[in-house]
Amino acid sequence: MLEARAVHKVYDSRGAETHALSDMSLRISEGEFTVLAGPSGSGKTTLLNLFGGLDEPTSGQIRLDDQDLAACTRSELAELRLRKLGFVFQAYNLIPVLTAVENVEFVMELQGVARAERRRRATGMLAELGLGELTSKRPLELSGGQQQRVAVARAIVSQPRVVLADEPTANLDSTTAGGLLDLMQTMNRERGVTFLFSTHDPMVIERAARVVRLRDGRVVADETATSL
Amino acid sequence: MNEFARALLAPVTWRMALRNVWRNPRRTGVVLLAIGIGLGGVVLAMAINYGMIFQMVDAAIRTDLGHVQIHGAGFQKEPGVEIRLPASLVAEVRAAAPPELRATAARVRAQGLASTSHGNIGVALLAIDPLREPEITDLQQALVAGRWLDAASRRALVGARLAERLKLEVGEKLVVSAQDVHGDLTAEAFRVGGILRTDSLPIDERSVFIALRDGQRILGMHQEVSELVLVARSNDSDEINALRDALRARLPGELEVLAWHELRPLLQYMVDVFRQTAWVTYAAIFVAMAFGIANVLLMSVYERIRELGILMAIGMKPGRVVALLLSESLLLTLSGVTAGLVLGLLGVAALSDGIDLSRWGEGLVSFGIPTRIVPELPLDDLATPITIAVITALVSGIWPALHAVRIVPSEAVRHI
Repeated sequence: MLEARAVHKVYDSRGAETHALSDMSLRISEGEFTVLAGPSGSGKTTLLNLFGGLDEPTSGQIRLDDQDLAACTRSELAELRLRKLGFVFQAYNLIPVLTAVENVEFVMELQGVARAERRRRATGMLAELGLGELTSKRPLELSGGQQQRVAVARAIVSQPRVVLADEPTANLDSTTAGGLLDLMQTMNRERGVTFLFSTHDPMVIERAARVVRLRDGRVVADETATSL
Repeated sequence: MNEFARALLAPVTWRMALRNVWRNPRRTGVVLLAIGIGLGGVVLAMAINYGMIFQMVDAAIRTDLGHVQIHGAGFQKEPGVEIRLPASLVAEVRAAAPPELRATAARVRAQGLASTSHGNIGVALLAIDPLREPEITDLQQALVAGRWLDAASRRALVGARLAERLKLEVGEKLVVSAQDVHGDLTAEAFRVGGILRTDSLPIDERSVFIALRDGQRILGMHQEVSELVLVARSNDSDEINALRDALRARLPGELEVLAWHELRPLLQYMVDVFRQTAWVTYAAIFVAMAFGIANVLLMSVYERIRELGILMAIGMKPGRVVALLLSESLLLTLSGVTAGLVLGLLGVAALSDGIDLSRWGEGLVSFGIPTRIVPELPLDDLATPITIAVITALVSGIWPALHAVRIVPSEAVRHI
């Protein structure tokens, strides 16, 4: 479903070229719970951004459901992200002027889901994540863990095919991080949502069904749960 | 419907815009205060100017012009006693009485000379109907000494400045001479029956009013008159034009039937020019305002780069981002405009008793400007600042909106 074909990504900063990804090829199938692991600068976030259509490769192809993302306009990419992808970022994921429930509703609002239906689904999802009492709180009134759970709720409430999570546990204590991973694994098992993480958190790597290890913009190992 | 239009109609866009605008209450408050005070001042200045111009027009109508005047052919070009209206015409107009008509009065108008032992001054000699004239002008209220005219009393009313120059007081005698309908010079002595003080320099300085019958007699006009002055039921220009048109349709074509703005085109020109230049004044204020608003929104965009990146990452299309920024601009501008209009209207209400300019009365009256100006703001003219405000909001929102849509989501989400 997600595929990188011979992708190169070069950042040019004032004449100095940085090769973030070099000849990267990777395929993520439906229903996987995959981690991109590696040290800082290995290309994890760059690859996630390319899969999410947030950035363009310098060369090579990124395909989502066999569609080349390079052929899409900005508006079409936004539509793809809206319909097929969910994002969870490291921190400060939420829109500060919206309450928890409004943040979760927002993607469905963009999708054109009727008001009553999106309110029902958003409150249901927040309740499922143990945030039923906090629906009317703004992000600044929530703890880091609560904010990340709201972000996960927003990412999955519209039932995307894939959730791309960039170091989602980086700012969380181990208990909160564990709870969040439990939740994502449940979503993966019960709803078949594909998860692709970037992380160097051993706790996340331990739980992954597949770990793709990156170094200097290349895949250095691709391990499944049995081989881990 | 495209994404932009859908977003503008979505309540969530406006909810977010409202909350974003008030995220930094101090900054928003300062901008609103600046817009409010600036626009409020302009609105008040406009109201004072409108008040002055409308009062000039009103004064001209109430002391001399009426709403419509009827003259014989050629009177406008070369006024004189040889161009007269028959008595039958006066009766005909009164009998016809179009629905817009409130009152009529006939006058005889001639050039003459007022003489006393202290000197001679060329004057406009106006013979008026003492009973009907108060229905069309406020001259009777302008009496500062003596009393109003009787039907034919050989008494005259003179302007205050004329009285001063000829050293006349009530009861004293002046001789009025003029050319009659046959071209012969005629003169008659009158007692000063009263002294008038108005906001009109020509009336105060160079006018002598006598009774209509006295005027007709000394000028040899029998029942004829120089002009018929008509007043409509309201000051509404549509009604005044309707009255004029109805009279033109019923009366012989050669007669001159003219509304006040045709009799004194300069007055109408002043009103028109002021209305046109109001656009320029408002536009100048709003251009300055646009930079302030664009600056605030631009700062707000720079502060929210990560947030906008996340919005784009989760599927917000460029059209929606533009709609969000324009909504913020509209809210900011329209709030400022509302504050400005409220302040301006409060100022107008506070000055509803008028601004006393009598210190400069001498100079103002010579231009036909009243010495007490009551600010006036026609409600339909408020459409001008509101329209320009909406344009300003859209224009000043475009710049920050373009910045926002150029944000690269992958870079923005890393932005702290």
